[in-house]
Amino acid sequence: MQSILYPGGIPLWRNVVFIQWVVQIISAIVVIAIVSGFIFNVATEIQDREIPFGFNFLDDAAQIPIGESVIQYDPSQSYLYGFSVAALNTIKASVLGVIIATSLGIVIGVSRLSRNWLLSRLALVYIETFRNIPLLIQLLFWFLIILELPNVREGYILFDAFYLNNSGFYMPWTTPLSGFWPWAILSLIGLGGGILAFNFLAKREIVTGKPSYPIIVGFAIFIVVTIIGLFIFTPLELVVPERQEGPFGRLQGGARWSGSFFALLIGLVVYTSAFIAEIVRAGIQAVNRGQTEAARALGLHTNASLRWVIFPQALRVIIPPLISQYLNLTKNSSLAAAIGYPDLVSVSTTMTQIAPAISLIGMVMATYLAMSLFYSLVGNIYNRVTRYAGVG
Amino acid sequence: MDRVATSLSKTQPHSMKNNLATAVTLIFLLTACSTNSGANQIAVERAQATAEAAIIDRNDAIAERDDAVARAEIVAKSADRLAAIQDRGEVTCATGNDTPGFHYLDAAGESLGFDVDLCRAVAAAVLGDADAIDYRFTDLAERGPALQSGEIDLMNLTTTWTSNRDVNWGNFAPVMFYDGQGFMTRKDSGVTSALDLGGAAICVTSGTTTELNLADYFRQNNLDFTPTVFEQTDVAVDAYQAGQCDAFTTDRSGLASLLTEFPNPEEHLILPEIVSEEPLTPVIPHGDEAWFDVVKIVMAGLIYAEAYGIDSTNVDEMAAGDNVKAKRLLGSEGDFGQEALGLRKTFMQDVIKQVGNYGAIYERNLGAQGIGLPRNGRNDLWINGGQIYAAPLR
Repeated sequence: MQSILYPGGIPLWRNVVFIQWVVQIISAIVVIAIVSGFIFNVATEIQDREIPFGFNFLDDAAQIPIGESVIQYDPSQSYLYGFSVAALNTIKASVLGVIIATSLGIVIGVSRLSRNWLLSRLALVYIETFRNIPLLIQLLFWFLIILELPNVREGYILFDAFYLNNSGFYMPWTTPLSGFWPWAILSLIGLGGGILAFNFLAKREIVTGKPSYPIIVGFAIFIVVTIIGLFIFTPLELVVPERQEGPFGRLQGGARWSGSFFALLIGLVVYTSAFIAEIVRAGIQAVNRGQTEAARALGLHTNASLRWVIFPQALRVIIPPLISQYLNLTKNSSLAAAIGYPDLVSVSTTMTQIAPAISLIGMVMATYLAMSLFYSLVGNIYNRVTRYAGVG
Repeated sequence: MDRVATSLSKTQPHSMKNNLATAVTLIFLLTACSTNSGANQIAVERAQATAEAAIIDRNDAIAERDDAVARAEIVAKSADRLAAIQDRGEVTCATGNDTPGFHYLDAAGESLGFDVDLCRAVAAAVLGDADAIDYRFTDLAERGPALQSGEIDLMNLTTTWTSNRDVNWGNFAPVMFYDGQGFMTRKDSGVTSALDLGGAAICVTSGTTTELNLADYFRQNNLDFTPTVFEQTDVAVDAYQAGQCDAFTTDRSGLASLLTEFPNPEEHLILPEIVSEEPLTPVIPHGDEAWFDVVKIVMAGLIYAEAYGIDSTNVDEMAAGDNVKAKRLLGSEGDFGQEALGLRKTFMQDVIKQVGNYGAIYERNLGAQGIGLPRNGRNDLWINGGQIYAAPLR
């Protein structure tokens, strides 16, 4: 008994290892008890209240309308297809938003540090205004501004092909014909040839020192093959928006970027770019001042030192918070329902009118999680590529 | 429990949020718990389970007792609700204060509207005074619980009669208004029927089954359309008014009451088609058959008074006249069961004098003098080809 309570001569209740184990075990038991209590509760409630649950509905006809889609959609198609259409709408807003917000954010972040007093004050006002007004209010603001445009019958028209009005922006677009896939394969071959030529010429330039224009030649090969393919296969048909007969004069054909989508995109870009600008500023300021001075000493002018010395180092600080802004932008796009853009949340909410809500919400959460993990993955890979050699 | 069961039913905008909350919790739990095994834990859990079982047994006993007490209270409360109301001197009526035409407040804070008038008719019938009402302004999401608790005597709150609610909420009296999803469009488009809406852009508010009804109707009739689904009605209406959409769809009563707030209501038109079934009725808590009969008989009285041409100006004349059916309704001759229920024989005279007949209530609130919803189609009396009808009074 003595030896168990006093292993190694130290009383058990003062043995650090023992105490740590006890605390761990108790914490584990508490967590498991709470979690299993919740699960039990939810499971029995679902059963008692006969809340529908399951995924069999996914093959049934979705029946609900979706206002705009990247791929063709019809209410007689399945829930799974409708869900994918909605997910693509969210991805479209997210990807375009991320690209534009990043570009804009970098410009504003750099302007914020400019020696030009007016420019840096303007950037400051932009940042403080847009990151301090709730996004939902900004979205409604942009949407109401777009509603101020003339309606579809009185809107602006350019070349009888481009239409701008409060229902959106309509422009000519292509639809794939039967020759699309052969053309796509030929283009891929052209791309491969271009890359081969690039590698060959780039190596030759390094080895022989003769200027060989690898980028221009490689790109030209790709473009020429693609254009030749256009004439051989006629893969695409250009469709110009046309006004429908009837009382409403709506436009049909071509591509439509709806007013709701524009409001969403502008709102997300403006809001997120304000945060990105601050991240960029913080990243640049995190680079030691000595680096700028060293660049100067080497004779680099301001732009070159920013491009070759400051920015590469700043990126290491910028990337992780930048990724979390991308995630925010993606998740914030779920506010689209307020301004009538059929994003993932809006469409799946409509679907819950007849399909099991719990299953659908689970799918929505999984989709957002997948998108977030994808951005994180890309960010982490980039982060690994750009980190200091030999560190961590 | 009933609250969630009913929250899955129709015309309840908050149901999605409830489901959402449950779903979010569930998924959190599912993801959080993936390492629930091990012999030690099994022993611990078994011990916990025993302890929990004891607690559950005790809680069950308490719950059963509470249920019994609550049931007894509700039965006691409702067993003779009519006597209780007459004793109290007031009818407790659940209604709202935010929908023009149906239930709203005037500048002086007085309740007005179609729903309110039906409450007033019942108060006039049982107490002789249409103003003897204790109004309970109730949230749409709270309608089920309010009925299930038995706290209220009567509910008139734009409530759609569905089988699910009939089982879970209470007793549904005769249909007093046939609502249903309809369309509004601009007059200058020249469209006079929903079947002409092919190719239109249509604004819709995310709701119970609004989008579904919309899609069904257009698919059924082989018409194209572009929907834009909004979360909130005011944004959807803004989009419609700005011409982003050619038509707007929601329940026709909602269309009419929205129209009263438009700056230019005469430029818009509510199309005649109804694409969903939303019969609105008064609702009475479960548990008192006699009180349910009282409400039904008052509603029938309002409908037949219109059919017989009795209005607030000619009650005394008709009571003394030679229309036998009208005399029976007004209690001056014969009986249609009112005395067996414990009502005064001439209660309909008070109702008609103070509130008016069905037609008068409709015109005052929903018709030309109200929100301007024309009374053609289903909401006309059966003798005019409509569906407003009730048990004959004899």
